[in-house]
Amino acid sequence: MSNQVIDLLQRLRQTALNKGLQALITYHEEDSYLMRFANSAISLNTNEHLISLDYIAFDGRKKVSYSMIADPTDFESMEKGLDILAEMLPHAQALSYDPTFPVYAKDVLDERAFDPALAALTNEERLAYFNTLAGSLESDDVKLSGIFSNGTTTTAQISTANEHVQYFRSTDAQVTAVLSSESLKWEVNAEQSAQKKSDLDAEGLHADLALLVKHYQEDEAVQLPVGKYTVVLGPAATAELGNIMTYYGMTGGALMQGYSFLKEEDQGKLLFSEKIHLVDDPREVEIYAQNADRFGLERKPFPLISEGRFQAFMWDQDSADEFGKTPTGHDVSHTSLVMDGGEKSVASLKDLLEMDRDEDILYVPYIHYMNVVNPTQGMVTGSSR
Amino acid sequence: MREKIKEQIDLLKAKGAHYVDARWYPREDSNFLFMWNGNLKENNASSQSGMGVRVLYNGAWGFSASSDLTNPNAIFDRAFDNARIAAERVTFPIRLAEKEAITGSFTSPNQVDPFTVGLDQKVAFLQKMDAALNQTGVIQRFGMLEFVRKQIIFLDSEGSEIEKNIIEVFASIHAVGIDKDGGMQRRKYSPGRTGPTRGWESINETDFLANAERIVSELNQVLVAEDAPNGKMSVILLNGIMFLQTHETIGHALELDRILGYELSFAGGSFVRLEDFGKLRYGSEKLTARANALEPNSPGSFGFDDDGVPAQDNLLIDKGILVGAITGRQMVEEANAKAKKQIFEGSSGANRATSFYRVPIERMTNINIDPGTDGSLEDIIANTKYGVVLDGDKSWSIGSNREQFHFACDIGWLVEDGQKKQVVKNPTYRGETLPFYNSLSAVGDESTWNVHYVENCGKGAPNQIMQLGHGVPVCRFDNVQVGE
Repeated sequence: MSNQVIDLLQRLRQTALNKGLQALITYHEEDSYLMRFANSAISLNTNEHLISLDYIAFDGRKKVSYSMIADPTDFESMEKGLDILAEMLPHAQALSYDPTFPVYAKDVLDERAFDPALAALTNEERLAYFNTLAGSLESDDVKLSGIFSNGTTTTAQISTANEHVQYFRSTDAQVTAVLSSESLKWEVNAEQSAQKKSDLDAEGLHADLALLVKHYQEDEAVQLPVGKYTVVLGPAATAELGNIMTYYGMTGGALMQGYSFLKEEDQGKLLFSEKIHLVDDPREVEIYAQNADRFGLERKPFPLISEGRFQAFMWDQDSADEFGKTPTGHDVSHTSLVMDGGEKSVASLKDLLEMDRDEDILYVPYIHYMNVVNPTQGMVTGSSR
Repeated sequence: MREKIKEQIDLLKAKGAHYVDARWYPREDSNFLFMWNGNLKENNASSQSGMGVRVLYNGAWGFSASSDLTNPNAIFDRAFDNARIAAERVTFPIRLAEKEAITGSFTSPNQVDPFTVGLDQKVAFLQKMDAALNQTGVIQRFGMLEFVRKQIIFLDSEGSEIEKNIIEVFASIHAVGIDKDGGMQRRKYSPGRTGPTRGWESINETDFLANAERIVSELNQVLVAEDAPNGKMSVILLNGIMFLQTHETIGHALELDRILGYELSFAGGSFVRLEDFGKLRYGSEKLTARANALEPNSPGSFGFDDDGVPAQDNLLIDKGILVGAITGRQMVEEANAKAKKQIFEGSSGANRATSFYRVPIERMTNINIDPGTDGSLEDIIANTKYGVVLDGDKSWSIGSNREQFHFACDIGWLVEDGQKKQVVKNPTYRGETLPFYNSLSAVGDESTWNVHYVENCGKGAPNQIMQLGHGVPVCRFDNVQVGE
């Protein structure tokens, strides 16, 4: 597979060179499957196989781009895309800074996050997984909803500067399951993500749901008054919050554009709880590992918060070019955020419930619809189900 | 290609499919330009083509899509196989509401195809806007132009054959500053409906320049303003926030797939129940809302939905009472069966897909609030004892069943004893949907009503982004929690 993709990129590179273009060519392929459940039935079973090409042409300070969802057998259309790019380039406006043209120093082939077994998952296996997680939890009143999505993503890049190619392939799966009671009007969620087939654990998800359903069916419902509470955020809620706060607060572009709640002089300062240690760690294959960014910069572990001290801003190439900074390998679709565990072992919701406590706490597993009210204050809103 | 599609549809029918449809996109083009502080950061063109096939077999849907059209049979076969598997777990066999076989076409109203306009002209427009925004107090300024042109051929096993040629134009300008307390503030202008057509001619330079001056002036007032007050008071929502209030707490709440639980695992559900139709007092008698896909010149008007149902104008809320929903062919059948009575007479023609590679789902068309009889904005302010006038969609968080909400706005003006006073910054308000709409105490007349475009409504798994509109007047709500 990689040979076909690399051959295509080499042909397109040669075409671009023949047209006198200085260009970056990116190949993106998604082969994805989604089984969606609603009201305890499969409401949709779908798959998509899409190949897209992104071209960026550079001419000094001018830059234009062209994207296409491509028919993989139609090389002529792909060439036409380069023609369109060449037509656009003279009409572009020069930037006020020099954009970096990617020059790859070596070939990169990174398939650490690809699992052939997950890529080959069948409709029957997706259905069996959902049947297991639902187990005996459904009834006339309690209905199952959810999605099982999985797929393979392939990304590859070449620039006209030389023949080096960057090639990345990964698999991932995401399961969301919701059980809802029509009469009692509650919903409970459980989620699971997987990078390889062996990560999928339908029985584990079933156990989480069973525990929640038991409490929602047997415990008395309580309407909480508005006020301040001690809150425990589940892993998904913590990840959501960490993602939005790093995006708005810890990127160099946000800093220079006035969006960040952090300032340049905050680097090294104790601004968060000393219990927080957060790293962008591309070694972690489970969270979109990629060992080079789009400009060929090596991706390394990048500490963001160490024992509560903010460490450094992440600089993508364009922001670094514009503001005279050094890029940090962050021209990627996804960062790989890792927050270290702490001193307490809480592997499951059951463990959390069994912990000693001297007051009632709110457990928030997921945050729905988070949004930024005031980025410079780091103020966000969201709701829990 | 049309003949090949018809052959495949007939073939799957012969194999036992109850229904088959195909949406073939021979070509979809888009053009996006983004200028930030004078730098043309994005100058992108894109194109796509492909086909999506939907098959109903033994009461279950299968869907498949591909950009590879060298062997369209493979797409049909995959969709059929997907439906066969889905049919193994069916609790309510899918049925589709009746519709006539339709041969028709729709073309978006436009005079100048934006794809015939040179890049130089588009860049020059953004440069002018950038220069207009480059004033004291503005630390970040940006302008966007987005154009989409797509051809969609729809064929189904019931004999429908529809061609749509759609052009979309979206433009906006933004000004950002830092206030006296170090907080980021912004104002933006994104024109609503300015005329009968939406080609390049709708990019009205004079209008944009006037609004650039306005938003810079308003931004500078916000930068030195005090915070909005906290407490319960009247809020007077201008178009720039009323559209979003309508979108989030009427539009999404009344999508029938959400009401029936089809979006629980992603976008969420709705507090509305089937038994509520015809009875639930959603708002005060001043509230009349409709889904009007016949509204001239709006992205929420598209001729025929992706079930092949003609566009319609339907009441959703009539003088405060819930009477309708946003529906497609599948959901109305299921809702009527579950309610054991006929709530819906047929599809309201609102099943739409964002692209050939996504399946159609219930989407808003133009979800409008009818203008009222409480006069102009000035009249409403004159009749307000204490409150704030609010504008600008800064931030929003909505309960997953749309039962409560929190909005932050870009700007507010204090109102005391019928007088519009000084600008206030960081205004927010929150509420619960039904009490909020029941506190609707004034609805502006035609002079306050305009169609606001939405270019990025997200819903569905896999996710889909849809374009639509909201025709809304200025509205006043009383006893609303402001601040916090």
